[in-house]
Amino acid sequence: MATEEYRGAPHGGGLSGRLSDWVNDHIRTVLLGPSLVALLVVFIYPAVMLVWLSLQNTRGIGETFEPAYNYGRIFTDPTFWNAVEKTLIYSFGSLFLSVGAGLVVALALNKVLDSRIRNAYSTLILISWAVPLSIVGVTWRWMFNGQLGVVNKVLLDLGVLESSYSWLGNSLSAMVVVILADSWSRIPFAAVVLLAGLQSIPQEMYDAAKMDGATTWQTFRNVTLPYLRPSFFVAGLITWMFAFRAFAIPFSTTGGGPGGATETLAVYIHRFGIQLLDYGFASAVSMFLVAVTLVVATGYVYFILEQIEEIEV
Amino acid sequence: MAGADFTVEQYRRRQRVWDVLESRYVVHLVLFLAVFFIISPLIWQLLTSFKSPQGVLELTYLPTDPTLDAYERALIERGFWRAVVNSVIVASASTVIVMVLGTPAGYVFSRFRFPYDNAVFVFVLFTRLFPPIGLVTPYYRIVTTFGLLNTKTGIVIANVYLWLPLVIYIMRNFFITIPQALDEAARVDGCTKLQAFRHVVFPVVLPGFAAGTILTFLYSWREFLFAFTVSTDLQSMTIPVATFLFVGDAGIDWSAMAAAAIVAVIPSALVVIFFQRYIVVGLTGGLKG
Repeated sequence: MATEEYRGAPHGGGLSGRLSDWVNDHIRTVLLGPSLVALLVVFIYPAVMLVWLSLQNTRGIGETFEPAYNYGRIFTDPTFWNAVEKTLIYSFGSLFLSVGAGLVVALALNKVLDSRIRNAYSTLILISWAVPLSIVGVTWRWMFNGQLGVVNKVLLDLGVLESSYSWLGNSLSAMVVVILADSWSRIPFAAVVLLAGLQSIPQEMYDAAKMDGATTWQTFRNVTLPYLRPSFFVAGLITWMFAFRAFAIPFSTTGGGPGGATETLAVYIHRFGIQLLDYGFASAVSMFLVAVTLVVATGYVYFILEQIEEIEV
Repeated sequence: MAGADFTVEQYRRRQRVWDVLESRYVVHLVLFLAVFFIISPLIWQLLTSFKSPQGVLELTYLPTDPTLDAYERALIERGFWRAVVNSVIVASASTVIVMVLGTPAGYVFSRFRFPYDNAVFVFVLFTRLFPPIGLVTPYYRIVTTFGLLNTKTGIVIANVYLWLPLVIYIMRNFFITIPQALDEAARVDGCTKLQAFRHVVFPVVLPGFAAGTILTFLYSWREFLFAFTVSTDLQSMTIPVATFLFVGDAGIDWSAMAAAAIVAVIPSALVVIFFQRYIVVGLTGGLKG
């Protein structure tokens, strides 16, 4: 196989020469092999174990092989469906808020012509993306604290509230707080992706629209939005997928409470798998989460695969 | 779509609203509000971290007599400095391993055809899209079995699972942007394929490599789920876990917690300020073909 390609100068004999020839002939294995072996160990091994565990009854002491046990429990456990419902509210809430606010920020950033000012803004906005998610959680928990939180303090001082409100003690407002916290950390990502999309729109399109006498709104609808569609697709799908599996923010903000009101599937899995040591059931729920995410992710992979055709070799 | 359907008068009326919306003042107002929304929680943590426990109870906006006591309580009395050291070690080790493994792999996917190459690449993407929470339960068992509970090694291995596929994908996208003719020219000049990669193509892709490195470091620095699952003591715990555990206490020392949060955010914030360009390139480069 190697002879048909450029070989360069012969390396002569000797061990190093032959080793070098061997590397040259097996370059793909040498460069890619270690990664694939690593993924085999760190991904395939636990993934196979996940499937195996989901078929075990681990509720009592020890494990027994009962393939239908955990999957049967999923569909009869009302708290599971509560977690599904909360996950959907959480992920779609975060999706609309992050992508919506991200779009507004991206459009505004795109209007700032001075690149230094634009960079200053985007640096400040990107900071929330870099904050560890558990710290996002404890920060919002602190701000919305019923007695000492700054949010109550501001609202009381402004006269909006008459007495302190227990934000994290009420199901509805707790959900609002975790969605806000989640969006807070995801807006920069959406804004960056959408801004990149905006900047890839050829200026001629805008010039042409202007020549045709289009209003700003018409230009936005007929030029900007169609061009942005791939960016929306990417930003939206990624945001949704990551919010769907969110653990750190709901866990560190409310711990899933009050009374399971913000218990997403990931928090639910963690409760059973790590806290209650009911491996089998946690694994079965994980299989459900994996299945849902992967169905959606398949769409994303197809989107990427379309672009693979570009490689010609 | 054009102006034929409506008169100049109507056009002007409709356009007037947009002229206002697009004006400099509105644009900067929007950005100012966005920055305020992003920064104010961090400012609040910063202000809280300068308060005494008594000052926290007094509910003032600004610390009445600013003090660094909270930092001393968090970092020294509670041993939080260990978590800082652990985080530096874990994030650095994870980044080195992931970049060393992932960069050549990305190069292969950008250059070579081999049997089932698309299937292998889809496998890499699949690994990336697989929800990590799904692996936490089996991972916890594996780590327990191999005696890696409460070790930094256990966290580093998890980071390799989390970020290696991402880096392979990002690096592939960067390598694709470099013309294949460059490798071929190097080989005509007598380079082996490995030399062509190391001495000719890799230097050109260095900005992409920097983007990958910075992203991996930040992601490893931020990681909570696996670090929390693997470590429960200060020998191995990273900053996100240690800060979270402050909240678990019965009487929360809010100012110490705020100090810990600020210590955790400072490195991230510095990386963002100095390497913003690379992060944006990495985030968008990791998404597009």
